[in-house]
Amino acid sequence: MNSQLQELLNRAQERYLTSQDLKQFEEYVDSLPDRLGLYRLLRDQEVTLLQRVADQAEVELKDRVSLETLEEGMKNLILVLRYGAMAMLLDDESFLKQRLLAWLERVLPIQQMRQVNEVLYRLLNQELKKYLTARQQTLLMPLITTAQVTLIY
Amino acid sequence: MISVADLLRESRIPANYFDFAAYLRGDLDLGLLENRRGDRLIAIPHTLVTALYKGLGQETGQAARLVLMNCGIWWGKNFYTRFTESLEEYYGAPLAEMSMGIFIECLKECWTTHGWGALDFEPAHQSRGLLVITTKNSPYGIQIKGDRRPSCFLEAGILTSFFSRLSGQDLLAVQTTCESLGDPQNTFILGLTKRLEICEALLSEGLSHEAVLQRLLN
Repeated sequence: MNSQLQELLNRAQERYLTSQDLKQFEEYVDSLPDRLGLYRLLRDQEVTLLQRVADQAEVELKDRVSLETLEEGMKNLILVLRYGAMAMLLDDESFLKQRLLAWLERVLPIQQMRQVNEVLYRLLNQELKKYLTARQQTLLMPLITTAQVTLIY
Repeated sequence: MISVADLLRESRIPANYFDFAAYLRGDLDLGLLENRRGDRLIAIPHTLVTALYKGLGQETGQAARLVLMNCGIWWGKNFYTRFTESLEEYYGAPLAEMSMGIFIECLKECWTTHGWGALDFEPAHQSRGLLVITTKNSPYGIQIKGDRRPSCFLEAGILTSFFSRLSGQDLLAVQTTCESLGDPQNTFILGLTKRLEICEALLSEGLSHEAVLQRLLN
């Protein structure tokens, strides 16, 4: 649940929510079936989807980076997609940014991983576009872009 | 060939162990706060730390700094054990195989998550055997009336024993700047005890951090 909605919960002691506040809640609740559907899809297809990314990345990068580096990149991609899925479900970008990306940014050798990440994120985006409906892409893709921007540029 | 299913065989892929939201837990009915391993945490009011400093100062005078430093050293020994056990358990690798980068970031994150302030490293003189560590917003820098010396004795102690155990050598942390004296941060020089013994005298002469560091490097 995003921070605006959290903030509303904390106001319970002060007053009833205004119609405008409730509208925010309603919008979130209305979007939940879509969010849950997408979350289930990502959960159930995690291995299939990421295996396709890994297979293609291995072909593209085989002469340029070691298997260890690629594996490291894949592990981080798995994390990003898991945290991204949860952030999407909660409608809370900060879940991904503060709890994962801020950390990865500090511990990853970003420069050394750049080449791998560029390929991995391009392939991930391609695969997601194949798997997801337009609505689902609207929900998830901005989060993946945030990760991409943080970890590559 | 990479198998995603194999990468996922472990129940979790480790990220940030000291992530505040995941690290802090508690059973509020029982009045217990815990970390994610179930070790007990308590929130100490700042006024209690001040009271400890004042009480010790009154009872033991100049010896208070030594008592607090020794408390810090004892704390650091236990902290090192718990800290490394947590990391080895969470990252699924022995300390020796862990990257220094992750280890340092974990220590910084641990400091912040426990509310001990913001810790940082200045590695510029590491190759010459001296490590400079800074902290900001320390709860332990408390001005003791009439004393113009740095006062983060507990921190100096914890850093002394933590890094001694980490390096397997007899190290000492000497504090050269202190927030309680109006400095922007607390600075600690870490090095071999024998090499740093001279610091006490240099600081008594009123030498600045830079001057002390230069004397050690020359």
